[in-house]
Parts: sequence; C-alpha cells; structure tokens
Amino acid sequence: MKPAAFDYVAPRTLPETLEALADTERDVRVLAGGQSLILEMHLHRIRPDLVVDINGVAGLDRLSLDDGTVTVGALVRHGFFDSPQAVPGPLGRLCSLAAGNIAHPPIRARGTMAGSLAWAHPASEWCGVALALDAAVEVRSAGGTREIAARDYFRGPLRTARARDELITSVRLPLLSDDTGVGFVEHRRTHFCFAQVAVAAALTMRDGVIEEARIGLVNCADRPVRAHAAEQALVGVEPGSTGTGLRLPDGHPFARAGRIAAEQDAAPLPEPYADLEYRRNAIAVLVGRTLRQALADHREHNGATGEHP
Amino acid sequence: MEQWTRREDRRLLTGHGRYVADLEVPGCLDAAFVRSGVAHGIVREVDCAAAREVPGVVGAWSAADLSGLPACAHAAARLRDLPPVPRTLLARLSSEEAVAGREWPALAKDRVRYAGEAVAVVVAADRYRAEDGAAEVTVRIDPLPAVVTPAQAADDSVTLFDGLSNTAFTGEAGEPIEETVWQEADAVVEARYRQQLLMPAPMECRTILAVPEEDGRLSVWSGHQMPYRLRRELAALLDLPVDRIRVVVPDTGGAFGSKSATFPEFVTVAYLALTLGRPVRWIEDRMESMTAATRGRGQDQRIRLAADADGRLLAYELRIDADVGAYPHLGVGLPMQTAWMATGPYTTPRVHATVRSVLTNTMVTYPYRGAGRPEATIALERSMDLLARRLGLDPAELRRRNLIPAGSFPYRTPTGRCYDSGDYATALDLALTTIGYDTWREEQGRRRADPDALPLGIGLSCYVERSGGEPGGLHDFAGLEAHEDGTITARCGAAPSGQSHETTFPALVARTLGVEEARVHLVEGDTDAQPDGLGSFASRSAQVDGAALHHACALLIGLARERAAELWRTPVEEVEWSDGTLRLARDGSSAMELAELVKGTGPLRVDDRFESGMGFPFGAHAAVVEVDPELGAVRVLRLVAVDDCGIALDPAVVRGQAFGSAVQGIGQALYEGIPYGDDGVPLLADGLLDYLLPTAAEIPPIEVKETRTPSPVTPLGAKGAGESGCIGTPAAIVNAVADALQPADPDLLQMPLTPDVVWRAARAQEHGAQEHGASKAEEAR
Amino acid sequence: MKIILTVNGERHALDVEPRRVLADVLREDCRLTGTHLGCEQGVCGSCTVLVDGEAVRACLMLAVQCDGRSVRTVEGLSAPDGEPHPLQRAFSAEHALQCGFCTAGFLMVAVGALEADPTIADDPERMDGLVESNLCRCTGYEPIRRAIMRAAAEYASHARL
Repeated sequence: MKPAAFDYVAPRTLPETLEALADTERDVRVLAGGQSLILEMHLHRIRPDLVVDINGVAGLDRLSLDDGTVTVGALVRHGFFDSPQAVPGPLGRLCSLAAGNIAHPPIRARGTMAGSLAWAHPASEWCGVALALDAAVEVRSAGGTREIAARDYFRGPLRTARARDELITSVRLPLLSDDTGVGFVEHRRTHFCFAQVAVAAALTMRDGVIEEARIGLVNCADRPVRAHAAEQALVGVEPGSTGTGLRLPDGHPFARAGRIAAEQDAAPLPEPYADLEYRRNAIAVLVGRTLRQALADHREHNGATGEHP
Repeated sequence: MEQWTRREDRRLLTGHGRYVADLEVPGCLDAAFVRSGVAHGIVREVDCAAAREVPGVVGAWSAADLSGLPACAHAAARLRDLPPVPRTLLARLSSEEAVAGREWPALAKDRVRYAGEAVAVVVAADRYRAEDGAAEVTVRIDPLPAVVTPAQAADDSVTLFDGLSNTAFTGEAGEPIEETVWQEADAVVEARYRQQLLMPAPMECRTILAVPEEDGRLSVWSGHQMPYRLRRELAALLDLPVDRIRVVVPDTGGAFGSKSATFPEFVTVAYLALTLGRPVRWIEDRMESMTAATRGRGQDQRIRLAADADGRLLAYELRIDADVGAYPHLGVGLPMQTAWMATGPYTTPRVHATVRSVLTNTMVTYPYRGAGRPEATIALERSMDLLARRLGLDPAELRRRNLIPAGSFPYRTPTGRCYDSGDYATALDLALTTIGYDTWREEQGRRRADPDALPLGIGLSCYVERSGGEPGGLHDFAGLEAHEDGTITARCGAAPSGQSHETTFPALVARTLGVEEARVHLVEGDTDAQPDGLGSFASRSAQVDGAALHHACALLIGLARERAAELWRTPVEEVEWSDGTLRLARDGSSAMELAELVKGTGPLRVDDRFESGMGFPFGAHAAVVEVDPELGAVRVLRLVAVDDCGIALDPAVVRGQAFGSAVQGIGQALYEGIPYGDDGVPLLADGLLDYLLPTAAEIPPIEVKETRTPSPVTPLGAKGAGESGCIGTPAAIVNAVADALQPADPDLLQMPLTPDVVWRAARAQEHGAQEHGASKAEEAR
Repeated sequence: MKIILTVNGERHALDVEPRRVLADVLREDCRLTGTHLGCEQGVCGSCTVLVDGEAVRACLMLAVQCDGRSVRTVEGLSAPDGEPHPLQRAFSAEHALQCGFCTAGFLMVAVGALEADPTIADDPERMDGLVESNLCRCTGYEPIRRAIMRAAAEYASHARL
C-alpha cells in the first residue's frame, strides 16, 4: 500500500498554485488535509502525476465573518469546528455537531472542510451540511474565480462541478439566525466507519411554528441530497410535543417528514448491511430524530416562550 | 525495574521493541505479491516482463517463471520449481484424504481459487519499488463461477479441484440419536446458526524476513506462534537439514491463532532468499491481510435440543457445514473441535455432532482465538435460551438444572472429551450476582410496561472449552541453565505474541527455585537457543510450557543436589535445596549458593520434554443490552465475564487477556463480517472502514471475575487462558438481544447483529405482535 | 527532494522521494522504528506521531509535507536521562499494552492532548475521544483509558503546583 511516484510542488502563493493546476495534460491533485487523497493513493485508486501541496499557501487557513456569511478557507481543518463557539450562533453548533462525527481527532487535525467538498464522498458530513445550508463553493483557476452554489455543485459519487484546473479557495456558509435550531445525527455501525445515514437539519421557528426547514441527507444517494419535499411538508407546522421516548409519537409531523424524505427525497443505494428497505427506514427515523434535535436546540437557546410543552 | 510492570514494557513503551519490520538488514529486498482479483478462474497469462524493467526491481516471477524455463529473465534463470505450501496433519486436524490432490501452491499456476491468491511476486530495493513492479505485471484470468458458502459449494455443481468433491472431510462425535428420543421429548427446539467468517486481525500483519547466511544457513525472522514448525516445514520444502535453518520470533504484534502456518508468501520469500542469495522480507500490509490472510470460524449449523418438562436435557444434535476455504489446511478438521465440545457444560446424556468440511472460493479457514470452541458454545447457548423460552423457564434456572455437578469430575462426555475439573454452577452464580441479574430482570419488567422505554435484554452463556492441544501435541520442551554469576537462563518452546512470557515465566522459575526474580531470564522463540519446541497455540503456554519450566526447576534442583552431594561426599538425600542455596540437611552447614556450585563444578544445564494433559477451562458470561428497535442499534450496557482457568501464573496478565478476548467476542457478536459480492470477491474495498473491529467507543463496562478450580492434569493446576471472551461472550450478547426482542423467528438473529439484522428481527416481532393482536380481536368478536 | 526534519529535537537532513509517507521516512531513513504501520489507511492509529505538537497519522502525511517542521515520536517521550514519561509509566502500571504494536500510537495521541491541555483529564468526553482514536486488538481499551487517566491526573497535579 505505497503511493506510486508523483511530482510534488508546494507553492507559496495562489497564482503559483493555479499555474500548477493549469497543467491539465497530467493528473494533478491538490493536497490539503490529504486524509482521503493519500489513502486513495495508498490504495492506488488515485495515481496522480503531480501533487500540489497547498498547505504553505498564505491566506487559505483563515475563517472570516462578513455580512452574515462565514467564509471557510481551504486550509481550515475539521478540528477547528469542534467547539460550538468557533462560529457564532446556531451555525457554530451545527458545525460542531457535524465535525464531531468526522473520524477522530488526529484525522480532524489534518482534514479540511474544503477538502471534503472537493472529494465529495456520498457519506461526507460537510457535504450534507453545505447542501442543507445553500453553501457556496468558491473556486479559482488561472482563468478567474467563480462561485458554485451547493445545489449545482454535487454531480455524483466523488464527482463535482469543479473543473480540474480549479482550486476550492473557500466554502461560504450563511450564518443562521438565533431563532434557528440545528441538529445533526449520524448512524454508523461503529465509531470507525462511514455513516450508514446522517442528517443535518436547521429549523427556523417563529411563534412556535416552523418558518423554514433545511434538511441535508448524507449517504442517502450517490451524492448529498436536500430533502426538499420533507422541508416543504414542515413549513407552517407547529411541532408541539415530540414525546418522551426515542420513538416519535405516531403521526408527529417530524415522523411524517422523515417518511417523505425517505420515500421522495432520498435515492439510496444498497450496500452491505443496509439494503434499500433498511436504508429507507433508517433515513426516515434519522430525519425525524434530527428534526427533534433541532427543535430541542431551538428551545434550549430561545427559552420556552411561545412553545408548547 | 520498578518503573515497569512487565519486562517487555521498557522496550515496547519506549519505541525499542523489535518487530520483524523494525529489523535493519543491509541489502534486504522487499517482496510484494500480485494477487488475483478474481475468486475462481483459469489463469491465462501472468506476464512479469514489464515489472522487471521497473527501476529498483530485482526480479519478478509468476509460478511459470519459477520452473527453470530457459526463456526466463536472467535473474530467474537459476530458479527451479517453487515448492507448495506444506501439508499439516497436526493433531488430527487435517487428514491425508483431505489434502490428497488438493495442493496449495505458493503462487497459483493454472487456476486461482480465491480472490487475493498470489499469482506473481516482485522483489525490489524497497516496498515502494516492489509495488511499482507489481503494478506492471499483466494478469489475465478467465473467471469461473465462484462458490463462497458451504451451502453453495456442497452440491459440487462447481468444483474447485477437477475430479474431486468440494467436500474434503466428514466426521462425527458421539452416537446418532434415535428419532424416538425427539418424538417423546416434552420440548424440542430447532434452529440454524451462522458462525460468520472473521478476521483475526492482529495489529501487526504477517511478516517474514529470510536471510541467507555466509555459512550457508538460512536465518528466518517471523512474527510467528510455532517457530519449530516453521523451521521443520521450511527445511522440508527447501530440501535442507533442519539444523541449517534458524527461525527467530522477535516481538510479535498479536497473532490470535493466525500466525502458525508456513504461508504461501513465506514459502516464496524463503525460497527466493535462498536462490537469490540475498535477504528478502515480506511485510504484509493491511489490505493484503484482509484479502489473503487466513480467517476463522465459518460454520453453518443446524441444531436440535430436547428436554423433559422439568427442563432436564435429553438430547442435543449439532450438524456443521464448515467453510474450509480454497485449500484444505487446518481448517478441514478444525470443526471437529466444535463437534468434540458440543456437549458443553451440561449433563445431556445423548449428544451427536456431525461435520462436513467444504471447500469454497474464499481464503483458507484457520484457527482464530477460540478455534472451534466459540462455535460449539454459541450454538449450544443460543439453543439453551430457545429452550428456556419454550419451557417458560428462567434461562439461568434451566442452565442450573443441567450443569455438570462439581463432584462429577473427571467427566466423560458423550462427544468423547474427558473434562479434567470444574465447578460450573459456582461460575454461573458469580456471574449472576456480579451483574445483578435479579435487578436487571426487574428493570426489564419495568421497561416492558413503559412504551417509551427501549427494550432491554439479559443474556447468559456458560461455556467449557479445551486448552493445551490435542493428543500428540500436548508437550513442550524446556530447559534451565545456571551461570557462574548467579543468573539463570530459562528456555522453552513457546513463542509469545503479547502474552507476557518474558515476565511471567521468569517469575515462575524464580518462585519455584526460591531465587530472586531479577536473576532469571527467559529465552524463547529462537530455534538456535532452544533446540526443540512446539509453540504458543491452544492457550497452552502456561499450562504446558509453564509446567515444563516447573519440571525443569525440579530437574535443576535434583542435579544441583547431586553435584553438591558429590562435592561434599555425602548421600544426595543429605543435601537440601532452599531459596537457591544448597545445605547439608542435618545441620544446615556447608551452605553453598548455586553460583558457587557452578563455579566449582562447571556448567549446570537441564533440558527435558514435558507432557501435560488437556485442560478444560470454563466460565459464565452475562450481558445486558439495550436495543433501539427503530434503527436496530444494539448498545451493550454491561458485560460480566467469569472465567476459570485454574491457577493463574499472573492474575493481572490473565485478566488483561480475558478483557481483550471479551472485546473480540463483542466484535463477533455485533460488528465483524465479510460480505461477498456475487462474483465471490469480498466487499472490503475500504479495508478497516468496511471490516469493523470494535473501537473503544463500542466497549461497555466489562467486569472480569475469576473462580479458580485447579487442573489435576498439569502440575501447576493452570489451564489455558485468553480465549475465554471469544468463546463465552458472543452468545451472551446474542441471547441478550434475543431476550430484548423476543423475536418470533430467532433464526433472523444471525451474527454479526448489525443494525439491519436487528431491525428486521424487531420488526418481525412487531408484525408478529400485531397479527397476534388481530387474531385476539377476532376471537373477541 | 531534500528536506529537514527535526525529530525528537534532532535535525535530520534527508533526501526523500515525495511519495514516501512520514511513517516510512521515520522508520527507514531516521531508523526510528517505534512508529508502526498497522493499516496505512489512517484508521488504526499505530503510526500516530506529533507534528508541531499535534497528533497526526504518519501514514497519511508525506514526509515532504513536514519539511522544516518538528516531529515527535515515541522514542522522544522519555526524558534525556532516560526517566520514563508519566504516560509510559502509567501504561505499564495499568497493563495498557500486551503485544505492544499499537502502543506508540496511543501514547502519542495522549501526549499530544495532555501537553496541549492538561485539564483534559476533567473532560471525560475528550478523554474518551483520545482512546477512541486508535485501534488495539489485545487490551480491550479499558486499561488504556485508565492509563491515560492516571497520567492525566499526574499532569494535572503538576500543573497545579
């Protein structure tokens, strides 16, 4: 399991980086965290001609806040988001919940959010979050800069709208308003494996009623999926009590939304230990539970005013 | 010394351990193997020409290249035929008939029989270059239909060896049970169980380093459990006298039963080192290990268990279809371990077990921690719970009524074992009180009344296993040598892979001789330093090698007394030994330290062979689980393991192994499995992200307790330790899940109990309950 | 490619192929073989080392990425006078190793966290996160957890002094 030989450059500036990426004759790969890339190289599933190590490129490791948007530089590591205070408000809580499900601390010390989006694994937590929140992916090439909306970005397993000569320089996420509750629930067989299913959710509440719902589905299709049908079914709903057990009360709108997400939004593929029937069930259950977590998060941070007990 | 609890710790904790891959040998070449991506097929072409052109590559060969063909590249020109993997008929676990005509080639020549089988080897200056070369080897294989389960393979519609059945072996233990017994019994339960294939997965994969020495000998370093067997088999294969080969086992990163063979890669590497006249090593990587290393378990079982109305067991029948893998090796007869142990800890008067070992297009089945006994225990203990439910008896009570009483040993079982000693009921009682059985039953009742509560289940598993080995392999060799400086060298044939021999054996010798521990040093795992030995397998090191060292102590004391008697011109009966000192018995005068005796009379060395009996460790495990029926997730809340391995040489070490073993048992119950695609290729593209070993996040609070029933068949009273968790734990967990869900069809709960499996069982129960409710409603109308 | 690695305080001027992962360079070029490769997938964690104080998988980092950086391996844990590190003592005391192959990885994950923040002992979740970072097949993890707790307590008491 040793990588095949490749050329290596470690540019210091963005223009140098983009120049290196412009060599479309060869298989050029960007090395940021490397936690997927180097593994794939060990497995010989990727045999790049040139590896462009961007870790020394100035300015890419920054996270900035501007006008309701968080701009996450290409070198911001997963571990940065471990603390819910790393980013203000509900977005910080959502990122923290999601990051906590990414592998373990030594991987989180290297891997990056932008890298996850570049790799676009169907089980990637960040891809589901990005889609749920209508994130934007900023890519640059020698030819210029463009921004790709998350909904247009994911094209299939490990396939994205990023061109080969483009570098993801940042991911932009909208800050979430204080009346938004967030949830992220992941279901996996052990601590060390990809999610069988994971769900990211954000519920914006007004007077106890759901004004907006955002649901991102992870590993529920060959790419991350936005559960639009389930979201629509939630708008205007007053969720009320979600019961006291782990199982949502029969007929609860979150349970209904879960079933809609599983039947209408998701396009799951069978895999060992999770055939279609099981996956659809797990998606429905997890969506329901994530919505409940988001509602609880909202209630915790907004007091119980205007809420039903 | 006081900084370190074990002697091994100093080097292992400071990065100064020496595993095979850590050894620095100038000019050593690395081998990489080219493996079949096809499970079953005809080899049409293996072309290594391009690989030989890769910079750094020293040679590349297919099986055909190693037949001394003159057309070969120059580096291969001297090479003749590569020998096959040696047959092993060890301890009745394989047979001549099973292996006849089914040779396991070191490199596949005409046919590949499992995905991952090596078809070519490349050696190069380092592993990177060897893999560069391997990537350039062209392999063309025409696929044949693949059969990956005994059920698929048993009808011989696809055969692995032309003209030979896939069934390589059949056997039985006990007498067939008459049909009337089943007809007349008050309760009979039947079930099917799958003992899935498991990867032993030691943290260090397989390793071998072969160094041709200037004097013509071959030195072999390998992380291995049986260095003498490796030496003997390599010598036979390479046509060398045994004393021309030295095998050394340096630090070894775990084995769990999987590191005792002379594997195809070992044959190839040793052969190449000798013929190239250069050191060659093969450091298996994880992906190779996951496709080409041996696996354990692999049985499809059918059972019948009968009892009278009081729950007294009448008869037990176990039918085993065992998955041998692609070539018959130890895995052929290994299921006989299951058959011989089918009686378990109960007084069942009639027990009959049959074995059919079937070749499949999967890697070779081989011992893995427990090796045949987990399969026996899991089948029986799951069946006991089924029976308890059928009879409406508490599972603990059913067991209690049938356990072999403490006064009945030695106990001959209907399946041919003679249990040495035991007190099974005490172990069960200790497990029940430790876990708080009654309290959990109350909690279970409370939860059943609360619709919001998650179902909770309690599972028990009583086991008895076998340690030491089988007749013909119950001995080992040990020796002691006293030196002029007062130190003592202890030698034995064992070969550790994490079991603390370096600490516990010197402590044993020091205790027995009455000398300071620091004066005793252990030498093992080096065929030059200790002339003969068997190794570490079947949980035998304490029981057999410990006893052999104990025996050597007696010999050393005897010899020392004789020498002193001669020196003092007195009858030997007049010489006493105490605390490392020789004295005249009558007045304690003329005291002489052992070191002085050596100085005065020359080297003092004893060596002998010592044979132990078979030990039968036992115990009782109890688990409490909580099930999330909506997702099928199982959370183990508590696990108690009560193990009795007789007298422990070092209780802390034994407890450590019991704990780790229990975690491996959890792995079998809940997480580990090898799924196969329709083409017979394992679906493990992402390696350890697909084959899930338990992590710390999965581990419940585990309490390990012990009872101590000495074994009368070995002088230290020690039985084997370390396999208990793999044997006792899985059934406790599966029974707990079944207890939580009470599924209408218990056959739905097959290991590993992954969420989808548990969800299906939970759903079947719900549906069953609804149907039941509906029919009740109809009755009411 | 020429690089400078500072390993356990010692400067190594090396000429390495870009494709060589840090673990191989430490093992083969620096001859520090205490760092083991258990999976080369970033899963098992046996190869974990500290790069600039942070625990990383040495199988998923190229040595050339560490040019000019400081690497710490298990060989650099003991004090220069050979006095064992508190974690090493705790691992021994708690029987937190059997075969020892995975041990260096656990030690390095733990030392990285404890040195960055000695108060981690008070945060059970983060302590769990350390043990849950790596695989061990012998011990069943609990002894490792206890050992890290034990060393952390020692750290914390030193920190208070």
